[in-house]
Amino acid sequence: MSEYIPMQAEILDIDIESPNTYLITLKLLEEGEEFRYLPGQFVMISVFGLGECPISIASSPTRRSLQLCIRRAGKVTNAIMDCLVGDIVGIRGPYGNGFPLDRMMRDVVIAGGGSGFATLRSLINYISDRREMFGKVSIAYGARTSQDLYFMQEYRSWQRAGMEVAVTVDIGDELWKGNVGLVTSLIDRFELNPGSAAICGPPVMINAVAGKLMERGFHLSDIYVSMERHMKCGVGKCEHCAIGPYHTCQDGPVFSYDRVREVI
Amino acid sequence: MKAFLAKEGLIPLLEALSQQMEIIAPLATESCAVFSSWRGQIMDLQNNPLAPPTEFLLPHREILFRYVQESGRYTFKEEEIPPRLLFAIRPCDLHAIALLDKIFGSQPIDQAYFRRRRATALVVLNCTTWGRECFCASLGAGPEARDPCDLQLTDIGDGYLCQAETPAGILILKAASDLLQPAKLEHDQEKARLLQMARETMPRDGSCQQMRQAMKRADWEDLGRECLGCGGCSLVCPVCHCFNIIDSGIPDGERLRCRDSCLLSGFSRLAGGANPRRTSGQRLKHWYQDKFEDIPKITGLPGCVGCGRCHLVCPAPINRADLKVESREAKG
Repeated sequence: MSEYIPMQAEILDIDIESPNTYLITLKLLEEGEEFRYLPGQFVMISVFGLGECPISIASSPTRRSLQLCIRRAGKVTNAIMDCLVGDIVGIRGPYGNGFPLDRMMRDVVIAGGGSGFATLRSLINYISDRREMFGKVSIAYGARTSQDLYFMQEYRSWQRAGMEVAVTVDIGDELWKGNVGLVTSLIDRFELNPGSAAICGPPVMINAVAGKLMERGFHLSDIYVSMERHMKCGVGKCEHCAIGPYHTCQDGPVFSYDRVREVI
Repeated sequence: MKAFLAKEGLIPLLEALSQQMEIIAPLATESCAVFSSWRGQIMDLQNNPLAPPTEFLLPHREILFRYVQESGRYTFKEEEIPPRLLFAIRPCDLHAIALLDKIFGSQPIDQAYFRRRRATALVVLNCTTWGRECFCASLGAGPEARDPCDLQLTDIGDGYLCQAETPAGILILKAASDLLQPAKLEHDQEKARLLQMARETMPRDGSCQQMRQAMKRADWEDLGRECLGCGGCSLVCPVCHCFNIIDSGIPDGERLRCRDSCLLSGFSRLAGGANPRRTSGQRLKHWYQDKFEDIPKITGLPGCVGCGRCHLVCPAPINRADLKVESREAKG
């Protein structure tokens, strides 16, 4: 059977994270095999007749349900967001390398910008469930406005698990009483010892955060970046996501900063 | 197994084979040679067609599977792939197929490619003459076939020296065993002489090393201004394999694999609109870099086979010589 034939999954639940972002919970309908994945991996999701697109997994493998965070961006994501509970979608994967968890089991800085925070939520919930294996955890997250902040109902539980959580928005409003500014301003406030870091967000933000961490003594090879690239096959063949000799879908999407610094 | 096939034996051999499978051969047309289904038409065995035979392994559009919906659930069905013979493909294109086998054969293996590949027999015609843009000898891709194929033919004047390299190749020859004569030492000597002559007279620029040097000095943004971004070079390149996956049909339909090109402006555009290779120059650089740096890193072989098709087809025109600053200045 070809790699391109997807598994079928039923949409069990749809949560609204922001006006243009839904968190969908899926149940795979294939018999037998358990769906095993790592934080940082992604799937190819499809709506038959409208196409397929790559979406990072937003849930942690330590928890039961498989969740994807879908932001309205094009034909396929629009079609997914038009789906109802009970509808069937196609799933291929998981693909990609995921975060190198065994090398991150010490102090961890997690920095996310915009929809890049979805893949980091998988890592945060993983750490939360395996808390004793990690050191101090500091989370910095920025979105455009307070309306665009994802997973707000979970920040408390992360704090209760002993993680530092700091959130900021680019544009404040009268309802927002928190920080206004860049993610880097949150990093400035953390008390940090050089450890490992996971970053996902727009290129400018990745470079700015990595720069701040390097100033604080972090090694380039300890800073892990989840790269966004256009993907069509997920199996390293179609060349859409090629970065030099690497295929983001197979060799990534998580790269240490020293390997991709030049191309971000 | 080695044998000699007189020229008048070729058509009867193909006729016998066409009873068993579809034969794709370089057909003569009014304008140029074209690989197409052979049913007795006149062939052009002098010129290598502009469209490479790899399009029969990675078609411009192929059905990956059909999906059929019934009460909300789907069933999937793959296409049957009938057996096929690619006749008189050239060593450069065989080398490209060897590269595609490596690329599509890396984990996870692309079964959709190999279903077609396994159903395809390869008969190579070695090159005793070369076309005006050929430089395969610089890249080790020709003029003699060195990669695995089923049967190798060499035109040695009054007939073909045939060398079967696999059981499938022997079966191809046995389809017309009464037409075959035993191969003699003179046939081997004549083959060696003709191929040596082709090797020695062919242009020798464009090796991986030379290209890497030229690429370091190339002014990509300047070249990018000349590039029309049509993607023609990548459509005729036998090594190019970029593709897109799209759906056609609701609620039942087909998931299709369609060829794509990294030289087209939207190729690497992200969901939010950002584009890592925004300019034409960046895309052109990526194309060359993939062939002479990245594919060698991944497969151990140059990603260019020296067929020269990209030069023949480019309307700008841009060719490998344009990468060298000196020659551009000389061109004025």
